[in-house]
Amino acid sequence: MNKDPLILLIDDEPQILRALKTILGAAHFRVLSAMTGEEGLALAATQSPDVIVLDLTLPDLDGIRVCEQIREWSSTPIIVLSVRDGERDKVAALDNGADDYLTKPFNIEELLARIRVALRHSAQSIGNKETVIKAGALEIDLARHQVTLNGEEIRLTATEFKLLSYLAAHPDRVLTHQAILSHVWGFEESDHIEYLRVFIGQLRHKVEQDPDNPRILITDPGVGYRFRIVE
Amino acid sequence: MIHKINRVPQWIIGLFGSALIIGLLTFILKIVESSLQIQLIALIFLLPVLGCTVLWGLTSGIIAGFLSFLAFNYFFIQPFFTLNVHSTLDLITLFVFLVVAVVVSQLIGQARQAERVAKKREWEALRLYEMNSSLAGLTDVPAILQTAARELIDSFPFHQVVLIADGEPESKPVVYQLPRDNRLEEPCDLELSMFTERKSEGKIRLWFNQKDLSLEETRLLAAYSKQAALAIERAHLFKQEQLARVLEESDRIKTSLLNSVSHELRTPLAVIKASSSSLRGGAVDWGSAARQELVETIDEEADALNLLVGNLLDMSRIEAGALKPTKRWNSILEIIRGVEQKMRSQLDQHTVQYEVPADFPLVPTDYVLLEQVFVNLFSNSIKYAPTATPIRITITVDGENALISLVNQSPHVPEEHLDHIFDKFFRITEADKVTGTGLGLSICKGIIEAHDGRIWAENIPDGFAFRLTLPLTLKGERPRIPEEPADE
Repeated sequence: MNKDPLILLIDDEPQILRALKTILGAAHFRVLSAMTGEEGLALAATQSPDVIVLDLTLPDLDGIRVCEQIREWSSTPIIVLSVRDGERDKVAALDNGADDYLTKPFNIEELLARIRVALRHSAQSIGNKETVIKAGALEIDLARHQVTLNGEEIRLTATEFKLLSYLAAHPDRVLTHQAILSHVWGFEESDHIEYLRVFIGQLRHKVEQDPDNPRILITDPGVGYRFRIVE
Repeated sequence: MIHKINRVPQWIIGLFGSALIIGLLTFILKIVESSLQIQLIALIFLLPVLGCTVLWGLTSGIIAGFLSFLAFNYFFIQPFFTLNVHSTLDLITLFVFLVVAVVVSQLIGQARQAERVAKKREWEALRLYEMNSSLAGLTDVPAILQTAARELIDSFPFHQVVLIADGEPESKPVVYQLPRDNRLEEPCDLELSMFTERKSEGKIRLWFNQKDLSLEETRLLAAYSKQAALAIERAHLFKQEQLARVLEESDRIKTSLLNSVSHELRTPLAVIKASSSSLRGGAVDWGSAARQELVETIDEEADALNLLVGNLLDMSRIEAGALKPTKRWNSILEIIRGVEQKMRSQLDQHTVQYEVPADFPLVPTDYVLLEQVFVNLFSNSIKYAPTATPIRITITVDGENALISLVNQSPHVPEEHLDHIFDKFFRITEADKVTGTGLGLSICKGIIEAHDGRIWAENIPDGFAFRLTLPLTLKGERPRIPEEPADE
């Protein structure tokens, strides 16, 4: 039987829970909610939700600790909600197992899109991964190391391709600077954000229609980059 | 004065001194005795009594008196070379001599004593005055201890002085030692508390040679310790007063902030409430254009509220000195273009033009904070620049800094106000005419200064310019860019 996806909301603000329950319910999701970290952990273990939406400020446990604990036994996608200016928290959450984040106050369309991405991602990790990724006019063939824009092949350097393919392999998800740097340049270079600025700039000139207004390689201020599949 | 070496007691010097003088005088008078009357000799013998009293004090004067009496009797009163007295007249002369000698030496001695005490007092007063005036301007405890220790070492025969000021609650005591090199062995020879009328402010520990301090030294030391205690207390009070003033100032700021903000918070809330209640009450048809309009209004006003709350948060962080930029290598152009994209709907009356060299270097900045700066600069431009006028952004290298200019067509600001537009709540126009909290530009200033940069405004011939500088180096270094292996 094909049931609607189950979403677990962990947030201590009753108003947020009330609004999200209504909206997610209307969007055909089943919703469970917890107001403390402990309660959330218990529900995550017993109800096996499809996606967890987690607020970082909880009365009992730090949201980042909740992330860590869930990751010890589960790979359920976690979307973190945080307040503005919490870049450090966002990065810490992402580095500790969260899949994505949203800043409060957020656009509900954005949350629904992120939940869909998370669901797609977890379905993919069970099935076979796609080797051809499309974003608008851009097409990346990971297996054949080929990139085309409007059907024409683009020449990329080895580093540029490594960077682009890593981002494209995680579409619509934010990747932290550190994660990208250690993947492309190696762990010991993971502090040199300037490499990223330069190479992303070069890539934008090759793959974006308007490099000054990027639509595919999106900067996530203070956190990292996101490869957006334009819909 | 206070003496640094142990000396022979005063009265022994007096004894030998007067014996010598009287011996000498007796010898001279014995030679010229025949031409002098006995009464004159008696008068001359009073001179060494006066001299000794003046030279060595009261005790020596009295000793000299008795020695003169004995010498006079022995050598000049018949029968000579005995202490016997034969004639009644001689007995009276001798008696009068003794009385006069003792009384005169007493009187002179007292006068001398009084003078010496007065001198000593004067010296003490002078030292105290010096100590007082060198402590007067000091408001931090370590400097006070240093000065007091120096004064103590200079005025007393101490080998080492250690001053310990009790800290304020929850802080460590401050210790100062003179001479600075290694501490002499415990225990110290004397420890005394620095007291004010209210409480003890600390301790003085002393090492010295003498067995005991003289009465005067003890008194002076007590006065010193009192002065030091008062200075320390004053330093503590000064600190508290400063703190109180800061609190008062921040209280004042909060009050004006509240006044300014409550209006700004209410406006979008009022719009949201009006729109949402009309949607809820069914005043407009579902699906009509009016409904769509109301929903958009709610969304926009919520964004406005969010910006305002963000500004308030930044302001309180700047005020608290808690705004610590996380500087990473960023492209200024990317940040500004990002802000332009986000504000596109508000900027619909303006075009933004860029003049930036293609290879402009990365600048160490906090991405999110710098976004906030340009959000505020753009919204200032939207408020004041006439519609359908361009906003021009230029970025250049200016020595060790990046110089960023935002030029718009806003009317000129009177020269005397140019510096003040970055002050909190400063407005040139009346508050009713333009919306906003008067916080935006002061937040820009706070953020740019936290980046060690500078921001200012200029009236220029074709409009109004905001200019800001940001250092191009992070900890003295430029960004490292890896070598790209050759293209295959």
